[in-house]
Amino acid sequence: MSQRCWEDVREGEALPGFALELTMTRMVQQVSGTQDFYPIHHDRDFARSGGHPDIFVNTAFTRAALCRLLTDWAGPAGFVKRLGFQMRRYHLVGDTIYVRGKVVKKYRQDGVGAVDLEIWAENAREGIATPGTATVHLPLRSA
Amino acid sequence: MGFDISRVKVAWEGYETPLMPGRYPVEFDPIRRHCHMVDDQNPLFLEQGFCPPVMVDYFASRGAWPPGELDILGLIRKIPTPGDRLVNMNHEFEWFKAVKVGERLSVSHKVVSVDVKPTKLDPLSVWIKTETRIVDERGETVALRWNQILVHRTPEQVQAGFIRAEAAA
Repeated sequence: MSQRCWEDVREGEALPGFALELTMTRMVQQVSGTQDFYPIHHDRDFARSGGHPDIFVNTAFTRAALCRLLTDWAGPAGFVKRLGFQMRRYHLVGDTIYVRGKVVKKYRQDGVGAVDLEIWAENAREGIATPGTATVHLPLRSA
Repeated sequence: MGFDISRVKVAWEGYETPLMPGRYPVEFDPIRRHCHMVDDQNPLFLEQGFCPPVMVDYFASRGAWPPGELDILGLIRKIPTPGDRLVNMNHEFEWFKAVKVGERLSVSHKVVSVDVKPTKLDPLSVWIKTETRIVDERGETVALRWNQILVHRTPEQVQAGFIRAEAAA
């Protein structure tokens, strides 16, 4: 993994995102990977009986994807300081989600190189279903 | 019979669980399963034993099964609400230090607010905001987490005016 330094970052820069296809196998991996057995994420009848269109990915899967976006980008010496997001619409089984972000602001704070980002997960049905923000600390080239 | 949110707010807002140790230490296998579910091939996590930041609450938890014991679910289930269906809505983390395989984490949860806010699913949707503190073996704060979960009734329950007995005023 290459290391990104704070000086290399441009405000407005897009993060290289990635896509995840939400096949039924991925939904099973989601339950295994998060150990979240609440049936709304794996039992289609249960999800529909609660008024939802189908099973959808859980919080821990969503944040794992958003966090991967940040840790891939920040490199091994980066530190994810803050991550927040809203689950406004569904990522359903059968969707493909696209996880993306861009740099909003870079600044120095208490000797640290900080970067604020907008991040999100979108799908073709809903557009941006999960908007969020994050702050990442990056090493300084001069340090 | 109705639902009196003011009674629930008085009883539950500010309630805090004691600090509880996670069932297991930070371990490689759950980290690898977590990474593989989102195609994360970061060697920091897969090979070098760093815990993905968003997994610290997983390792601070009492475990996934029985289902009521995972993270805040046991606490949420105790708060009287008209329905019992759950959907997470807002989630935020702040981290203070990195964690590695072998460390042991502990957790406490606090109920920040309980409010009724109608949704398309249920006019008596209850929104519960919690704050979670995760600490390491030295008692140093690893992360703070804020979560807002929606508790609602099924469409059939809404139509029937159903309110769970423990929530009925």
